[in-house]
Amino acid sequence: MIDRTRSLAFMFDGRRYQGYPGDTLASALLANGVHLVGRSFKYHRPRGILTAGPEEPNALVELREGARREPNTRATVAELYDGLAATSQNRWPSLRFDLMAVSSLIAPVLSAGFYYKTFMWPASFWEKVYEPLIRRAAGLGRASGQSDPDAYEKAFLHCDVLVVGGGAAGLAAALAAGRAGARVVLCEEDFELGGRLLAENRTVGNRTGAGWAAYVAAELAALPEVRILKRTSVLATYDHGTYAALERVSDHLGEPPPYQPRQRLWRIIAKHCVLASGAIERPLVFGDNDRPGVMLASAVRTYLNRYAVAPGRRAVVFATCADGARTVADLARCGVSVEAVVDPRAEVPPPMKAAARAAGARLISGGAVRRALGSLRVRGVEVRTADGAIERIPCDLVCVCGGWNPSLHLASHLGARPVWSERLAAFVPASLPPGMAVAGAANGELGLGDALAAGARAGLAAAADCGRAGQSLDIPDVEPEETGVTPLWRVRASRGKSFVDLPNDVTDDDVALAGHEGFRSVEHLKRYTTLGMATDQGKTSNVNGLALMAEFTAKSIPQAGTTTFRPPYTGIAIGALAGHHRGKDFKPTRLPPSHRWAQQAGAVFVESGLWLRAQWFPRPGETDWLESVNREVGAVRTRVGICDVSTLGKIDLQGPDAAEFLDRLYVNGFKSLPAGRARYGLMLRDDGFVLDDGTVSRLGDGRYILTTTTANAARVLQHMEFCHQWLWPHLDVQFSSVSEQWAQFSVAGPRSRDVLRKVVDHQYDISNAAFPTMAAAELTVLGGLPARLFRISYSGELAYEIAIPAGYGEALWHGIMEAGSAFDIAPYGTEALGVMRIEKGHVAGNEINGQTTARDLGLGRMLSARKDYIGRVMSERPALLAPDRPTLVGLKPIDREACLRAGAHFVGAGAEPTAANDQGYMTSVAFSPTLGHWIGLGLLAAGPRRHGEHIRAWDPVRNGDVAVEVCDPIFYDPAGERLRA
Amino acid sequence: MPDPAQVSVSALDATTGHSDHGGPGAGVTASEIPGAGLATLTARKGQRGRLADAVRSAFGCDLPDRPKQVLGRGIAFVWSAPDQWLAHTPAMPAGGMEPYLRERLTTLASIVDQSHGRTLLRIGGPRSRDTLAKGVPIDLHPRAFQPGDAAVTVAAHIPVHLWQIDASPTFVFAVPRSLAQSFWHWLQASAAEYGLDLAEK
Repeated sequence: MIDRTRSLAFMFDGRRYQGYPGDTLASALLANGVHLVGRSFKYHRPRGILTAGPEEPNALVELREGARREPNTRATVAELYDGLAATSQNRWPSLRFDLMAVSSLIAPVLSAGFYYKTFMWPASFWEKVYEPLIRRAAGLGRASGQSDPDAYEKAFLHCDVLVVGGGAAGLAAALAAGRAGARVVLCEEDFELGGRLLAENRTVGNRTGAGWAAYVAAELAALPEVRILKRTSVLATYDHGTYAALERVSDHLGEPPPYQPRQRLWRIIAKHCVLASGAIERPLVFGDNDRPGVMLASAVRTYLNRYAVAPGRRAVVFATCADGARTVADLARCGVSVEAVVDPRAEVPPPMKAAARAAGARLISGGAVRRALGSLRVRGVEVRTADGAIERIPCDLVCVCGGWNPSLHLASHLGARPVWSERLAAFVPASLPPGMAVAGAANGELGLGDALAAGARAGLAAAADCGRAGQSLDIPDVEPEETGVTPLWRVRASRGKSFVDLPNDVTDDDVALAGHEGFRSVEHLKRYTTLGMATDQGKTSNVNGLALMAEFTAKSIPQAGTTTFRPPYTGIAIGALAGHHRGKDFKPTRLPPSHRWAQQAGAVFVESGLWLRAQWFPRPGETDWLESVNREVGAVRTRVGICDVSTLGKIDLQGPDAAEFLDRLYVNGFKSLPAGRARYGLMLRDDGFVLDDGTVSRLGDGRYILTTTTANAARVLQHMEFCHQWLWPHLDVQFSSVSEQWAQFSVAGPRSRDVLRKVVDHQYDISNAAFPTMAAAELTVLGGLPARLFRISYSGELAYEIAIPAGYGEALWHGIMEAGSAFDIAPYGTEALGVMRIEKGHVAGNEINGQTTARDLGLGRMLSARKDYIGRVMSERPALLAPDRPTLVGLKPIDREACLRAGAHFVGAGAEPTAANDQGYMTSVAFSPTLGHWIGLGLLAAGPRRHGEHIRAWDPVRNGDVAVEVCDPIFYDPAGERLRA
Repeated sequence: MPDPAQVSVSALDATTGHSDHGGPGAGVTASEIPGAGLATLTARKGQRGRLADAVRSAFGCDLPDRPKQVLGRGIAFVWSAPDQWLAHTPAMPAGGMEPYLRERLTTLASIVDQSHGRTLLRIGGPRSRDTLAKGVPIDLHPRAFQPGDAAVTVAAHIPVHLWQIDASPTFVFAVPRSLAQSFWHWLQASAAEYGLDLAEK
């Protein structure tokens, strides 16, 4: 599985090394004799490589350089590529000589919960002393701090059967389901299929384990409905058969190839799932068990058998289960001297005895390793023999195996608690998410033959349930094996520190301390000691920690608690969660029909919901936004301006009962609205507060066009759907959104009619008499293009809104600009629009904010007393009728030079600015070029009765305190003469 | 009267001409379907049956009551909601969609022109399903979605109405006009690894 025909150059901590295709960074480092790869989180102890898989707690490195630097990358899963550069973490100045390691000397202070204890005394110490110190000393890798240069992707994947894990059970499941014709997705974290088949010296039928995996992989690859995703971790189980999986598309390369993402996040929707995620071996807890060279026995076999790397020359095997024998045999076969086999069991099973004998190793039954010796690498072990004697045995590799924990994370994500199996001394899945089956080691079926059979059964059953009946697989013969374990949760009377959780430096003493200090819940233990809270989420430590807690609190393990899991199973980059949706693609952008014109005209844009709207159109020489906005307002007030209002929601309403429907929807009446007229309308929510405002125009028999505010377009349509489907299904009305179909422009100002006269086809009379205020008509423009004209004013000037099918929008805009050039027409943006609506006292989103009633907004006269409508009853609740409710007013600074600020709170002129004296707040402000000073709208208690009163507008956030005069909210042309001109 | 086809501007014109279409090859083909007539057709209350009769006699097809597209004479109907369809003609009928349909269907349905409200895109090619999977949450596998099937769904958070027109496969996407550029940008990014071919088919 290692290709020696070609070598790969890589760097670790600035030194050059060579490895081979098929290596991980960890296997290549070991092959180069590098055992020291990192420093621990808290004590800066030297650390090596413990595992050969995704559960690695120690060998975390910074991979790649520059903007691509990834901290906390597990060397055991980082696939080697030519030019790979990695750096060790959490050491200074160097890995071998780390000054921070002095923290080991003050270790007694750094016990469990020390972080929390620093909160307690003295308070001022925390920010100034503790936190900066802890932050500098603790921690792991560094983020690059730069923008990620790579692309990420998200995608959906649907299948009948999702198989999680491509080991023996997973391959059998995928093959059984695949042969049956089911749509199968097989996800494997590794870059090769096979799982432990690649790592063990086993045979399956007449093939090697790896050979059988390759044979099955080839058949699966040829099945059209089977999709194999290698380098893909299934991270999460969600409801309804949905799973998240992360595919590391380009992580095994220096840079992603052109148009390839670095990673792809799959959302897999599967009818069935076969969880064949295997198991993770448990380390043993003894003194200084964190020394580089102490390695899981399963990892040792992986390095020997898969990577052809001997992680040492002289080994001690410390085993509590049947895997010890396999380890001894593999070591001996590969020429590693086995110095001793330490088995805590008094009665060592025959296979272990035989293996030790064959390897020429001394067997110490009933003994235990109480301490690993050495610092930067293990130099030997101190063994306590059955009779209590202490012996030192030199070695450079300690292989530990404490039994296996099924990888049941995905079975637990929806909340199911696993159950304790005494036979396995491990948790196994109990109740499963709907559609999930567990097979193989993940289900505690540790023997190869059992795993193959269970996988095949689960795959076949899953396929059959999807309507794809198939044939039972012929499982090839495999050698029977022992799988028993006699758990040893810690070696008592050890010397040195006995680590339970390596990445967070949690020892058995820390767990004991937590017990002494009264922590009884495993969740509290976890948080107090930080056990299981590091980047590996306790994959090798949780069960050991729980067992120790059970011991210290004199409970059984199931009594002490269980471990459950939340997504994700392994870490995931934020970039992968974002996928395509980063930067400007964070959300889709809606562009109005005039966008291209506005862009060419140099408009400044503003994001308004999803819309990108022109905010103002600076002209050469204008240096300040206010200057541009003032000019645009002036153009509308004195001549003519044009603004794209296509973003307003537009709803087409038809049917014989349309007027009745409108009457129920709006507070004011619409049955009297004649064809060819528009009317302002106000809608309430069920609770009596204002939902939205807009206009309703009646075009012809039974057809109405409703407008909504930009922000509420979807909400109003949804409200109408609800009313129609649930409240009044008997009404014969049909409606659909036409917001996208119609471009709509506001043409406003005293010369607007003159401009439109040149655009509207001559046969249509748009004179003041023929087309008065609130007139609406279908007509043609520019020589025959269909259009709709409404005489609706938001600015308070003579004004129109003209609508045209959106594809003709640009043509109409150009036509109006051309027709308006004689009148020096000015395009205006949302800022000028806002200024003019405040000058006219029109309410907008700032006032229609979900907390205001029609009366609050000065619109009480619109509430019809002659009909029922949504929200009527609730709007008459006494509190909503209280005369001192904050109600819409206008506000002017008494010092006309003063600037007003939205959000400022109102208090009486002489009153203290306290919450008790709060009388409302400023909702909208603008500089009015028409009046020459700032103006505001606000909601003031009993506002309409207080016109002329002087009050304070107090802004504690920005230190504003402005004396203002309360006035009518209509600052400009209160009689409305201009719009009727 | 100006020629409407000359006056009308695509929501995509500004972007499709000069952009990066990814790697070599043509795993995905995409082209805009210009000039189509589109209208939303909603049955009047209690008129579903008579409307179906009128459609059958005028266009020779049955209105689907599931998410399907059916082809009639010179027109297609795509289910979009209960008692609601998107009528689709390859070219805009003289006088527009509303008069064209109203003449044949009278007041059995409310008819609303949407010809300018949707940008129609034809998306196909051997890697089109892989590309669409990067944003469309529904299953487009041939076992789940066939020519004639339709769906109202989203693509990369953009509401879309889509239907399959052949098994090669080719899909038609009706995208809200204002969102067409965002949709295009997503499609281009998603198809880049397979190569995006804009050739008219």
